[in-house]
Amino acid sequence: MYKEKLDKILLKIQKPSRYIGGELNSVQKNPDDVTMRFAFCFPDTYDIGMSHLGMKILYSLINEVPEYWCERVFMPLPDMEEKMRENDILLYGLESLEPIKNSDFIGFTLQYELSYTNVLSMLDLAGLPVYSKDRPDLTPIVCAGGPCVCNAEPIADFVDLCILGEGEEVNLELMRLLEKCKAEGCTKHEFLVRASQIEGIYVPSLYDISYNDDGTVKAITPLENAPATVRKRIIKDFDKVYYPENFVVPFSAIVHDRAVVEVLRGCIRGCRFCQAGYLYRPFREKSIDTIEKETISLCETTGYDEVSLSSLSTSDYSEIETLLGRLTDYTDKESINLALPSMRIDRFSDELLQKIKSVRKSGLTFAPEAGTQRLRDVINKNITEENVLESCRIAFEGGYTSVKLYFMLGLPTETMEDMDGIKDLCDKIIDLWYTIPNRPKGKGIQISVSLSTFIPKPFTPFEFEPQPTEEEIDKKQKYLLDIINSKKVNISWSRYPFTILEAVLARGDRRLCDVIYKAWKKGCKLDGWSEYYRYDLWKEAFKECGIDVAFYANRKREYDEVMPWSHMDVLVSRDFFIAENKKAHSEAVTPNCREKCAGCGVNRCIGGKCFE
Amino acid sequence: MNKNVRIFFSKTGRAIYISHLDLYRVFQRAVKRCKLPVWETQGFNPHIYITFALPLALGTEGICESLDTKLTEDISFEEICERLNSALPRDIRVISASEPVYKNTDIEKSEYEVNITADNAKLKEFFAQEKIITEKKTKKGISEIDLKPMIEIAEHSDGFIRLRLPSGTETNINANLVFEAFEKQYGVEIDLIRIKRTAVYCKNGEIFR
Repeated sequence: MYKEKLDKILLKIQKPSRYIGGELNSVQKNPDDVTMRFAFCFPDTYDIGMSHLGMKILYSLINEVPEYWCERVFMPLPDMEEKMRENDILLYGLESLEPIKNSDFIGFTLQYELSYTNVLSMLDLAGLPVYSKDRPDLTPIVCAGGPCVCNAEPIADFVDLCILGEGEEVNLELMRLLEKCKAEGCTKHEFLVRASQIEGIYVPSLYDISYNDDGTVKAITPLENAPATVRKRIIKDFDKVYYPENFVVPFSAIVHDRAVVEVLRGCIRGCRFCQAGYLYRPFREKSIDTIEKETISLCETTGYDEVSLSSLSTSDYSEIETLLGRLTDYTDKESINLALPSMRIDRFSDELLQKIKSVRKSGLTFAPEAGTQRLRDVINKNITEENVLESCRIAFEGGYTSVKLYFMLGLPTETMEDMDGIKDLCDKIIDLWYTIPNRPKGKGIQISVSLSTFIPKPFTPFEFEPQPTEEEIDKKQKYLLDIINSKKVNISWSRYPFTILEAVLARGDRRLCDVIYKAWKKGCKLDGWSEYYRYDLWKEAFKECGIDVAFYANRKREYDEVMPWSHMDVLVSRDFFIAENKKAHSEAVTPNCREKCAGCGVNRCIGGKCFE
Repeated sequence: MNKNVRIFFSKTGRAIYISHLDLYRVFQRAVKRCKLPVWETQGFNPHIYITFALPLALGTEGICESLDTKLTEDISFEEICERLNSALPRDIRVISASEPVYKNTDIEKSEYEVNITADNAKLKEFFAQEKIITEKKTKKGISEIDLKPMIEIAEHSDGFIRLRLPSGTETNINANLVFEAFEKQYGVEIDLIRIKRTAVYCKNGEIFR
């Protein structure tokens, strides 16, 4: 245990409390009493990782089993990493303060592509070789889950296996298998072969990938009886799914410092750029009773004074107003804030706003994503200008004075007219402000426009699309900055070097593993942080590996191309994505799932319709 | 009714890395968890009333830390302790609760026990100097001060020192400052040091209650 060693260094570190554990509700077990240890790694800093809901769920789920112990592990910032290396402290779990290399599992949750170098950093800090082939022992098994593993190819050489789909379903099954294999004295290879037979488990080393002369994937061949396609695992009875009664409560303030209750999973909307919208299908809701019970339990066990209702689109909850009524009865009485982070503009009613207002008045965020109706139809963001203006009117009348608008640049079929559309929408919102008789006096309207860059992702109708080049994006950003000159509008935008790397990694294949290794060796880590991101080093790594960035980011894929992720089955069919892609190019919209089933294919595995 | 309560607690083990600011939040959440009826400040942004007597330096243990609060219901001191202990992280423990006797402004000094791995002869020499000049960060900037008249050595053996330093609203000397001055003067790095605040005294010589 590293407590003594840590005591020597922690006072020299920024915010030391994030490196020592011991928080309320963190789980201590006697190492002698446990048979399986799982080091749950979030490949980013404590402040970010501790805000992540999936980790809280799986942490508690594993720890419910008396003889299993799950610990939390995060990426140390450079000041801590340096001191750890100086003092021979290997990466440790926050619960035991013992090295994670002695765990049975080291599990990474991959939430974004820019965390891949952190995975290598953390393995290295743990005292382990980063390549799977260089870790011959049965344990620790290095595994990965989370949305990014729908295309795990860029990290395929580093992890031993991936978990596709919802971990609540499969994690314990996997742990039981390893426990058994340990007792039987299996080799790592024997274990992996057996694990590959579990639905939802992907063992990259059991697939052979061949390539065409033009660099595209020719074939993906399973070995040793591994399944030809790996099928995502899902929870069928979402209302009964395990949910923690408590959360670990950090000492220091983190990004989302509050209780979180997941009200639904999946999304009915089908925005064509949104990977999460397809990956998390089918749409499933918890009942009001369950949500209420979980809300009360979490607030009482953590002492948080804010609870947020989480999902991809909380306002799509079928009985949202009844739900909010029930919850505000409790939260008002206990003076707890109820936060609703993911609200759709078109569901923004007067009544709903009153409910949110009764708790706290903060900024409002809308995501029209595109400036014109034509382009919103292309991306199937079924929001009209009227929806936006009507929601703004309700908000302004309710006393709001600032609005944040999210747009994406570089969407398929986008032209300069769509840029003008962004400006026009801002102008209309400003004009609207002055027509509100009871607008807050003495305050001006403030519009924040946030411009991100479109990144084509696997398992979306846009997986075939090229990402625009830096020049094209630059041109559009400059044009917008040029035409929007109102002081009432603030514009911020994402930097291309970040988006290009994300675009390459998102649709990358196994040949990128060596690029990631090289980049990491050159010092790349914490790539999601602008102060640490070194695109110059990445460029060197791409060059040295003979990899053309444009091949991955800016190339249009044919409908019949074998994708690096073609052996993954997220339950939404390829044919559906092709049909949706064609519809996008003909500017045709697809109604939301509740209105009309679009036939994405997910219902074949839930044995019937998604909606009654 | 408002019941004034002074709560004494310890902050040890992993909890020594909780900063003073974060400590407020820890207690705020504990109060909420155990549903202690703590009076809320009135105003635009009401928050529960908790005020700490003395800040404790990051990395220092304390076994006589205290905070003052007000309850809106009459709850026995035993029950206050029990309820808070059920809701606090392991390494923060409530020791006792009672009615405040002295005011925070009555506090004069704190006593610390220090376990230290360093050259003892040098330490003795350091404390025996006529002046111990070092720099102290204040709100106005960095100023030079002489620590010598402020340090009261109560006990000094090899590896162990018991000393008293000024605490309170007027002068407050962090025990780390003394040992940092030692490190600076001799150009050494202390290998291991554990500092624990063991008592807080008032101007009249009594233990702060």
